Amino acid sequence: MAQARSRERSLLRKALSPSCACATPLELGGLADGSLAQPAATRLSDHVSGCARCQTELTLLKEFENAAPGPDEEGAVSWISARLERRFSEASAGPSPSRTDRGAALPRRSWFTALNVGGFALAAATLSAAVTIGLREGRAPELAQPSATASAVLRSAGITPLSPAGDLDAQPNELRWAPRTDAASYSVQVMEADFAELWNAETRDASIALPPALRARIVPGKPILWEVVAKDAAGRAVAWSGKQRFRLRK
Amino acid sequence: MSNHLAAGGSGASIWLQELFRRHYTKVVTWCLRVAGDREEAYDLAQGVFVKAQRHLGAFRGDSKVSTWLYSITRSECLNYLKSRCLLDDALDDDVAEALPDDPESRPEHVFELHSSVLAARALLDRELTDTEKRVFILHYGDDVPLLTITRLLGLENPSGAKAYLVSARRKLARVLSRWRASERLIA
Repeated sequence: MAQARSRERSLLRKALSPSCACATPLELGGLADGSLAQPAATRLSDHVSGCARCQTELTLLKEFENAAPGPDEEGAVSWISARLERRFSEASAGPSPSRTDRGAALPRRSWFTALNVGGFALAAATLSAAVTIGLREGRAPELAQPSATASAVLRSAGITPLSPAGDLDAQPNELRWAPRTDAASYSVQVMEADFAELWNAETRDASIALPPALRARIVPGKPILWEVVAKDAAGRAVAWSGKQRFRLRK
Repeated sequence: MSNHLAAGGSGASIWLQELFRRHYTKVVTWCLRVAGDREEAYDLAQGVFVKAQRHLGAFRGDSKVSTWLYSITRSECLNYLKSRCLLDDALDDDVAEALPDDPESRPEHVFELHSSVLAARALLDRELTDTEKRVFILHYGDDVPLLTITRLLGLENPSGAKAYLVSARRKLARVLSRWRASERLIA
């Protein structure tokens, strides 16, 4: 009986596992928020519409994006969050290996011991150190400088961004893109890596100066995204640059 | 020219702190739904953030941070479920009891009797409702326990994912019976 069940499980796992055509969670996210570039977006959209596996993953991703504790979960989520925050504070203050915030009960898995970090180093406190370590170990990928030719081919009906892009040695003073004859104005948006807006502006030119307050937030190692939308005289969007990325080298 | 500067602090560390705090609740809530126990969920959430910390250098900004965190959370949660061997939960026995004692109701027959995985998947797609498909795929494809599926998909019916799995297997058994009957007629 146990053998039959194991065989059944094995067969089903194989049959229901993602195929090589299935989208990764990151691709599904890009598809859902419209940030996935063409032609991958069209190819994946066609696949996802007929793939129960990808639709299931997409459902889970949406549930995650909207995850908020229900009434019966609020207590536990607060309890966990408070402990994570405490570990975060401990990590900020320095290691204290003898302490455990779970009282006498030892954690079943000591994640941070495994990393040789004394306290809980949740994201926040040690992330800046993590970036440093990541760069030292060569894990941070260089941001590719976009090819103007490739950009022109891929965005023949869009806007060709000129600068800034990729890893920079100096802080940029402005954003520049190739002008379009059908554009009466341009909307510019600068964002953090999670698309949270830092700044937006309107201009009639094919470049715009970055204000000092924004430049102060462009710090080494922090990826910054920007995009431009061209508008006609009636204010209708006529072309889009896609999201451009740059980062100031540390 | 008009412009607007969004509120916020400055400096990479502040940015990184803020980035994770924005997505803190969803990671913790998700881990709680997977583990079903606050202490297990606490360990699981730590694991997610440590992994995120380790791989932060590889984050290129191509996707939203929340999507990137989801991919890490998903991977950690599946590993957790495998390590805890939660597959053979009691609800599986309940499902078996709710079904006829007929080998054709066993889901592997769908795949054994079809010439290809694609054909079998098409059958699932055609016969099952969206929720039945999701429950079926998560349970049999990813070994996610039924109680966990109930929580992750926010199913609010009294027996949660179990009802959808029983319904899916009944439908598939009926399809297989019809298919076999037609095969006999042809023979």
